[in-house]
Amino acid sequence: MQSAVVPLLVGLAVAAVLLPIRLSGLAAVAGFLAAVVLIGNFSFATLTATRKLVVVAVAAPLLGVILDTAFKPTRLAGVVLGVLFGAAALWVFWSVLAQQPFAHGLRLGAGVAALVLWTVASTLPLHADPVRAGAAGVGLGVGAGIGAVLGASALIGQYGIAVGAASGGFLLLVMTLGRRVRAGASLVLSVSAGAALLACAAVLLAQLPWTAAAVLGLVPLAVRLPLPARMHAGIETVIAVFYALAPAAACWALAWAASRTAA
Amino acid sequence: MRNSVLLGAVLAAAPLAATAAPETYVVDPIHSFAYFSIDHLGVSNVRGRFNKSSGTFTYDGAAKTGSVEMVIDTASVDTGDHDKGSRPRSRDEHLRSADFFNVAEFPQMAYKSTSVKFNGDAPAEVEGQLTLLGVSKPVTLKIERWVCKDHPMRKKPMCGGDASATLKRTDFGMKYGVPGIGDEVRLSINFEAYKQ
Repeated sequence: MQSAVVPLLVGLAVAAVLLPIRLSGLAAVAGFLAAVVLIGNFSFATLTATRKLVVVAVAAPLLGVILDTAFKPTRLAGVVLGVLFGAAALWVFWSVLAQQPFAHGLRLGAGVAALVLWTVASTLPLHADPVRAGAAGVGLGVGAGIGAVLGASALIGQYGIAVGAASGGFLLLVMTLGRRVRAGASLVLSVSAGAALLACAAVLLAQLPWTAAAVLGLVPLAVRLPLPARMHAGIETVIAVFYALAPAAACWALAWAASRTAA
Repeated sequence: MRNSVLLGAVLAAAPLAATAAPETYVVDPIHSFAYFSIDHLGVSNVRGRFNKSSGTFTYDGAAKTGSVEMVIDTASVDTGDHDKGSRPRSRDEHLRSADFFNVAEFPQMAYKSTSVKFNGDAPAEVEGQLTLLGVSKPVTLKIERWVCKDHPMRKKPMCGGDASATLKRTDFGMKYGVPGIGDEVRLSINFEAYKQ
């Protein structure tokens, strides 16, 4: 309920309410925040990695709003933002990375930064396509969420599922009203930075294998697969979500396989 | 004459007794464990323990002073759930994740005493700070049993006993699963330590 139904309804409501001012893309972060509030594990008092993650995931769409209103996101902007969020990921997980032996910590840090950089940079160009952007949100969020549950963290899992469900709420509006619902950088930065960080958290703070997290990096590519021309937005959306869930399913399969061999 | 010799001996020994340093004891990890018990769904109490700990305490029964420092390896949490069967992860793996002990980020929890109350020459209550998940809160240990003697075989001076405490895990930011998994945690500690 608190990680799926409520975020979906909040995502749908926020997407609908903010439609006239073209900020429906804030649906994803609104649903995510609803889950954070309901699960009730957030506090500024001790900024653990999971709590820093929430801070960055909330800041990402605000940056997206600035980008949507002041600039037109370019391919270069995707790389620049990817580097920015990659660096933010190192800040989020520094307390874990710093405790590792130097070489291992360096490898983990490089992996975290690379996954976040790639996911953000490859998802940003979808900002103008609400169907593909929303579908990427579902695939990345639900993928990271269920992957985290299989990796032993229900909290990270609930956060991820909330991102996916809120993206689903956004897509319900797209299915109803068509492509005039704007995703914008506010949606794609929410789902890409948020879900990539959650996948990294599931690796570092639980037991999701790296391979499973890395497969989620294919979601932004999968949603670029061709959609049938001149079809109703609802059908396009269903197909795009199907594309997005294929890498997510691969992530779950890898996570499950790893759980069979782990001690 | 005899009385003056005795008086002299007592006077000579008195400063030594007054300045005797508290004895330091090192906790024996093989015979010292922190157990916990927590309500599960209002149906039963789940119990577990931490398999790895270390620490020292000082004790001076005559001066009624003491101190305790303990460190527990949170990754050693063990609730006996070793066979996960068809489940993706065991309960202990879940307990090590960010939902509970977050061992990757906080591999240790520590207890440091701030004062020790005595009942006679035995410590009865230890007040101190428990640091868990980066949060330090006061926790009082009740010493339910306290024995000092020589180890029967090794003939080495040792002290040990049993202690208990209760705490609220949400005070330390461990909020996952409340109230289905209880907030109040009952700690039960058995310890043995050898004089350094």
